[in-house]
Amino acid sequence: MKRRGFFKSLAAIPAGSALLAQQPAAPLNPTQGIQPPARAADELPKLDTTVAEGAADAMPRFFTPAQFSALEKVSDVIMPAAGSNSPGALAAGAPEFLDFMIGDSGADRQHIYRAGLDGLNAQAKRQFNKAFSDLDATQAGTLLAPLRQPWTYEEPADPVARFLRAAKIDIRTATLNSREYGAGRRFAGTGQYWYPLD
Amino acid sequence: MSATEYDVLIIGSGASGGMAAHTLTQKGVKCLMLDAGPLVDFNRVRQTKQAYELPYHGFGEPGRLPHVVQATEFNANQWVDEKEVPYTHDPNMPFNWVRVRMIGGKSLFWARMSFRLSDYEFKAKDHDGFGENWPIDHAELAPYYSRVEPIFRVTGRSDGLKQLPDGVFIEDTAPWSESMNRFIGQAKKRDIPVTKMRSSLGKGQFASSFNLLLPEAMETGNLTIVPNAVVRDLTVDKNTGLINGANFVDRHSKREMHAKARVVVVGASCLESTRILLNSKVANSSGALGHYLHDQTYITQGVVAIDKAPGGGGGRSGGYIPRFVNLKQGKEEDFIRGYALDFNLAGTPDPKYIPAYGAELDKALADYRGKSASVTIMGEVLARYENFVSIDKNVVDAYGIPVLHFQCKYGDNEAKMLKHAMNKFEELCHTSDFETLAKHDQPWPPGYSIHELGTCRMGDDPKKSVLNKWNQSHDIKNLFVVDGSSFVTGGYQNPTMTILALSMRASEHLMDQMKARAI
Repeated sequence: MKRRGFFKSLAAIPAGSALLAQQPAAPLNPTQGIQPPARAADELPKLDTTVAEGAADAMPRFFTPAQFSALEKVSDVIMPAAGSNSPGALAAGAPEFLDFMIGDSGADRQHIYRAGLDGLNAQAKRQFNKAFSDLDATQAGTLLAPLRQPWTYEEPADPVARFLRAAKIDIRTATLNSREYGAGRRFAGTGQYWYPLD
Repeated sequence: MSATEYDVLIIGSGASGGMAAHTLTQKGVKCLMLDAGPLVDFNRVRQTKQAYELPYHGFGEPGRLPHVVQATEFNANQWVDEKEVPYTHDPNMPFNWVRVRMIGGKSLFWARMSFRLSDYEFKAKDHDGFGENWPIDHAELAPYYSRVEPIFRVTGRSDGLKQLPDGVFIEDTAPWSESMNRFIGQAKKRDIPVTKMRSSLGKGQFASSFNLLLPEAMETGNLTIVPNAVVRDLTVDKNTGLINGANFVDRHSKREMHAKARVVVVGASCLESTRILLNSKVANSSGALGHYLHDQTYITQGVVAIDKAPGGGGGRSGGYIPRFVNLKQGKEEDFIRGYALDFNLAGTPDPKYIPAYGAELDKALADYRGKSASVTIMGEVLARYENFVSIDKNVVDAYGIPVLHFQCKYGDNEAKMLKHAMNKFEELCHTSDFETLAKHDQPWPPGYSIHELGTCRMGDDPKKSVLNKWNQSHDIKNLFVVDGSSFVTGGYQNPTMTILALSMRASEHLMDQMKARAI
């Protein structure tokens, strides 16, 4: 258990509760200096766990290094941090998550991403002789021009425009639904989950 | 040991099956109800979670429910698994068959929009010459609607509209918002009525068979419910030609079982009911079984527009425009029938419609908050013989039951109607000081509305219809089908109130027939 989670579980015990009052005082553990939470003998403990992303790094596996660098750049431009309380796509781990999710998706969706990221790198090379990830904000903005076009029902035919349209929403959703963005927001990304039916 | 023979076997526990049980048991009829799904403990099966706790962070497992647009990663387990109970269709003719299998059926999750059909639907052929009339009219069904509406606690505003008959409402007297008054002013100039949404309030969390119909049926002591009973087919007495029960498969053990009854009422949902009849090879002397499949065309976010005027708030910002076209001669437009517009003027647009990203997008979203109009367009689909379901002999589900094959597509009439709807709503928005952000006239694939209707239609002529006007098989007098499959035309209105009224009416007729020993 991470330290923060442990303290959270301590805080969950109501101060001065009848339950605590009935317990004999337990001696402090001299090695830790923290008293374990008092609990009735037949009460099952509630252990606070964390998701894997709270304790470990994701291992990108789907995109090539060049594609992933471009995805990181486009994520940062589309969903930058907006103040200390609103982490951007990079801090939220959106590129790493999308690497996993697109890698698990159907061939059509994978193609949209790969062709789009390759296209962005090719355009950056052609226009600025750089990888897309090395462009400055103005240069990157030039290549994101399709996102400033009015929405149409038909998917754009151009691979970069098509990718950007999908990525704009995916990056945004991945950020808003992330653990990092949800911290401190009571209802962010919350839903009523259905377990499998018996 | 020989099992009990029940008076009536009811297949399905949703709106139609639930209403049959509610009606019959209170008159002392011993009923057995089979449902393919479990009885759900809603406190145990649902839990609040954060999206990041789910494997795909709320995006959903790729490819899990390809036909269920409504599914999210949170609620994916509430829908029927397409691998467990598949169906087939031509790749160029997609059909989104959205199913729920649990006690209460889809009535646990419906959008609660509660409308009556009018004689523009019941007597549609008289009005414009297309298709068939229903064998009943609004006056005949009105007393049943009037008993259903208080059970479901329907709220709405009485307007005296011929195309959308009023019901027994909890009257909605809330004032309109300023932007709605502006919008209504423009609608009035064009003779377009705007009314309040008509919606079932229900009780507590649900407006469902589960909490409004089945508990009272259980209290009579006359209802036995068997969950997890997947009906394979109906069985026929060789001597009498009557239905004498149903074969079913236990969902967990796959054990084959048979239930006996004097009468069978099928309310398994439109297409599951038809599937059972097709697999039973009964009730199809007309050749109409499976045909005339229709639903309603749905376009969500057909027009997204931003209110440019200051203010806008101060009251109810959502409204409902019932059909207003083709009411005089039936063919005033270049299409027949009509559509409804379910709209709101005080939303926030989906970021995908805003041509910006980053900080600029965030600013636009903040500026547009509570200022965005959006509309769901719901259009009538013509009931055509060519749109049908049949049994796919090459594919069975997890219970070894042959599955449905779909052949269904929208036509020219639907396309013209939707274009008209999009343009009309945009015109109303534009003249009410809204600026269009995005628009389109492309519907979701057939089935999306979860309003599948027809395939077992009623009628006076046994050569053209499967059921008579009492939802009773023309061919087999002790077989009733009481769900949406009995519809002749569906109109633009959400069908649940009509399904409930039909089931109540059919069940009372069945009672009378049983009392008179005609069945």
